[in-house]
Amino acid sequence: MNAPTNLTAADFKSDVKPIWCPGCGDYAVLSSVTKALADLGKPREEIAFISGIGCSSRIPAYTNVYGFHGVHGRALPIAAGVKLARPDLTVLAAGGDGDGLSIGGNHFMHACRRNVDMTYIVMDNQVYGMTKGQASPTTAPDWCNSKLTPEGTGISPVEPARLALAAGANFIARGFSGNPNEVARLIVEGVNHPGFSFIHILSPCVTYRPEQREWKNAVHAGDATPAQLIAEAMHRLAADDGYTTGVLFAGNRPPFMPERKVSASFADLERKFVS
Amino acid sequence: MTTDIATFLAHAVALEQEAAERYAELADAMEVHNNKEVAELFRKLSQFSQLHLEEVKGIAAGYELPQLKPWEFQWQDGESPEAAPSERTHYMMTPYHCLQLALFNEKKGHVYYADRAYKATDPEVKKFAQLFADEEAEHVVMLEKWVATVKPPAEGWDQDLDPPGDAE
Repeated sequence: MNAPTNLTAADFKSDVKPIWCPGCGDYAVLSSVTKALADLGKPREEIAFISGIGCSSRIPAYTNVYGFHGVHGRALPIAAGVKLARPDLTVLAAGGDGDGLSIGGNHFMHACRRNVDMTYIVMDNQVYGMTKGQASPTTAPDWCNSKLTPEGTGISPVEPARLALAAGANFIARGFSGNPNEVARLIVEGVNHPGFSFIHILSPCVTYRPEQREWKNAVHAGDATPAQLIAEAMHRLAADDGYTTGVLFAGNRPPFMPERKVSASFADLERKFVS
Repeated sequence: MTTDIATFLAHAVALEQEAAERYAELADAMEVHNNKEVAELFRKLSQFSQLHLEEVKGIAAGYELPQLKPWEFQWQDGESPEAAPSERTHYMMTPYHCLQLALFNEKKGHVYYADRAYKATDPEVKKFAQLFADEEAEHVVMLEKWVATVKPPAEGWDQDLDPPGDAE
């Protein structure tokens, strides 16, 4: 292991200027990510940051580590591939609620149960912002400000933390972009916790969901001691109003890492095609 | 050894640094959204915070400041008091709103230092907290004068003739 670096949060920011709307919570998440990376003390070339598609998925471009802006909903399989091929890297994936829980919902579920050692950050604003404000999987059923769902979706929203727990995620935390220093702590803890870590961040969309500016009055800190047993975490999450912040679950499942061994030489493989 | 004054000055440095960074970030965001006038104003506010940062760093130069993690700072709202709350911004905001935001931040900065001065038991912390509180009070007065020279925007300032949600 290399010695800790003296890089600051600013060293982890790229020269690319974000094009998010002023007031968007994702600015604060970017600040949390760069602060967390600085605190982790790893050199930039030992970190990979993978995303899907959407406003929040632009985040790797704004950081100064290896980045991959992937296909819609496919951040997690790409990130898992990176981690399995290069276990020495610290791998983070990020995206929004639509990318991660609808288009990529299936990958999310299996990433949780597979438990590859990586950290997934979902910036949840309960709306598809990039495509001009449609209901997402986390939107409340009675939100009717989109022309596509003028009477609301009428469908119960996905509860990301509960889904992650049920699917087998080994670390679950929730933060609020309005408290970026606390979110930085959650990211650091998630990265340091072995296995698949899920960081659910409430990140307001001030353009299509201006009422989310009030989230700052709704969020509240949870139990200082995270649940370590699934049953206990389920019990807590069953009573959760969706605004509890902090580490919600810290499990102890060993991460998935297949044994790396050479099963055939290049000569063997070549022979198969030549003969 | 970490002393009360060193911890206090570490907070003072972070306060100005975060204010400068946030204003610069807002300037960039306004530039991207073609709100050049407000972008320029945020840039100027960032420069002012940068000057204050240098000043505080000068005072702190003789002390060994503790290396605090971002979440170890003792801020009342989780963020440093002069970091402009981004939820109070808008892509069509006017110079008036921008200065009102700066005034809001300076007032929070003043309250923070005044509170530190009031509660401090260490005489050195008390002295510097009072000094910084007085400076913030001066900034508040300056900004109030500045705001008074700017015309408040007319009603409907945020009406966008090509609103983001229109093409759905």
